[in-house]
Amino acid sequence: MQNTVRRYMPLISLGVVTIVLAVLPKMGVPRVWPLYLFHFFVFLAMANMWNLLAGYSGLLALCPAAFIGLAAYTMTILTWVDVPFYVGIIAGGAAAALFAAIISPSVFRMKGVYFAIGTLVVPEILRLVFLRWRPVGGELHGGGAGYMVKGMAGVTMEHTYWLGLAIGVASVIVMGIILRSKLGLGLAAIRDNDATAASSGIDVFRLKLYSFVIAAFIMGVAGAIFYSYQGYIEPSAGFNIKWLMMALLATVIGGKGIEGGPLVGAIIVVIFHFQLARYGELNLLIQGIVLVIIMLAAPQGIMGLVRDVRKAGGLGALLRSASRGRIRARQL
Amino acid sequence: METLADLASPIAIGVLLGGLYVVIALGLSLVFGVMKVINVAHGDLVILGSYFAYVTSTSWGLDPILSLVVGIPLFFVMGIFIEKFLVHRAFRMSVDAALIIAFGISLIIQNAAQLVWTPLSRGLMTSYTLESLKIGDVYLPVVYLVDFAMALVVVLAVHQFLKRTYLGQAITAASQDSETAQLMGINPARVYQIAFGIAMALAAIAGVSLALTFPFTPKSGVPFLIIAFGVIILGGLGSMVGTFIGGMIFGLSQTLGGHFLGPTGQLLVPFVMVLVVLTIRPQGLFGR
Repeated sequence: MQNTVRRYMPLISLGVVTIVLAVLPKMGVPRVWPLYLFHFFVFLAMANMWNLLAGYSGLLALCPAAFIGLAAYTMTILTWVDVPFYVGIIAGGAAAALFAAIISPSVFRMKGVYFAIGTLVVPEILRLVFLRWRPVGGELHGGGAGYMVKGMAGVTMEHTYWLGLAIGVASVIVMGIILRSKLGLGLAAIRDNDATAASSGIDVFRLKLYSFVIAAFIMGVAGAIFYSYQGYIEPSAGFNIKWLMMALLATVIGGKGIEGGPLVGAIIVVIFHFQLARYGELNLLIQGIVLVIIMLAAPQGIMGLVRDVRKAGGLGALLRSASRGRIRARQL
Repeated sequence: METLADLASPIAIGVLLGGLYVVIALGLSLVFGVMKVINVAHGDLVILGSYFAYVTSTSWGLDPILSLVVGIPLFFVMGIFIEKFLVHRAFRMSVDAALIIAFGISLIIQNAAQLVWTPLSRGLMTSYTLESLKIGDVYLPVVYLVDFAMALVVVLAVHQFLKRTYLGQAITAASQDSETAQLMGINPARVYQIAFGIAMALAAIAGVSLALTFPFTPKSGVPFLIIAFGVIILGGLGSMVGTFIGGMIFGLSQTLGGHFLGPTGQLLVPFVMVLVVLTIRPQGLFGR
């Protein structure tokens, strides 16, 4: 009995939190709360999926902006041909997933850092394509001028908020399922040593492809939802490297390769995003400094530090064992 | 033959522009070759070099190229410090950690530059900025020629340094096999510092070249970083000759792309080439 309760505890608490968050905008909370939380949900979805790629699949994919921009563009362009935007959001995710599947044969040929460099170039190519290509709206719209999202009359911040909540929760559930399935086990094996994984009968390419496509889909949906809130997209914003920075920052601060990491990281990134926004450049400067400090002081992120502290039995014990380790290293 | 005459100008400009790209990509390529670290802050370090030249030429009235006499040693020492205190500690953990640190450094430099120099677009004005040389029917801007000359000097100097000097050979050895190099009495930690210092000095040179040629803002580093990656992927990661030829190909395909497809086609053509090269030959045209 107790075991069953313990087993379903995370699921139950996730359900309760989701319900509370879903009714929140109806409860007369300050108007900025839904806005903060909406950003948190989108960032959470992004960070979760980046964690799936970089933390669990060994794919240091530097191309989240490609999935986001592509999905958001798909959604926006579809609203120009009278497709409702919520259909467009799913279509956007599908377009991002399809794109991921198409580029996978060429980018998966590169390993490790080579993969990282190869994927870094991808959003830039898409940005240049969308600077040229004007699928709808004639010569006045599109290109560098970008597109407005059409058909958004009657859509309120509440609707957008719920969409954000849906993708945030979905990303948590998808992560949970993957990590407890055979796919997660196989991915972990690939991350640790792909040659050994392959010799143990794991289809390396297929598993990497699955996680790449899943991540592309969810990132794409999150991006399309974000741009349905923004109401406007242009190439240099949609394919901007800042999307990568955001996903990377949230994942690393929280703890890469730890399930709860992106959750903690996304909270911190959202706080930075809004509390430091009025300082402009100083905001990103501080984010950069925090990133460097966390990477040097606690390379496993906040959740990683928490885990280590728990394992060592208190912060004092951890520090003592760390300093012992350092002395030992010096002696060697 | 009409078309050939039309093409003469984009071809000449493309090759010269390629020279600028080579200088930008060289530092990135060196650090990657030696440490296998992708220094995503390299573009911003180049822009820092541009601002250094901007400050020295506006406040001291120094010629940007002359300012390198101060700039190169300054950046070299800065590079050693960045490597020693930031990159190396992360590098010992994992390649990913070093990459993330580099991202942090990139954010810091970009936004510090915005605070200090404002987001306004800057450019270097010298007596030769607007001059151009007429060869046949082709006008060649003097700054492009200067870029290309600097690229030639830098590539030859780096090549000779790596081949002929003890330190250069140590760097090459450590990049080929750091454990064996260690057995031969080479201290990899020191080699990495020097290599990073040289990459920074190259960034200072690239910064001057860039500032002479294009207007720049604190955010200009990212597009040039991505171009530099394109150059390195085309030529092959960690190969000097490859980087040089990659830069030429990139510059040429950019100007030819612009010639045939209009301004928005300029960068599209080289990047599509990069993708094709990645698919067919992931190690680049001259990679090992």
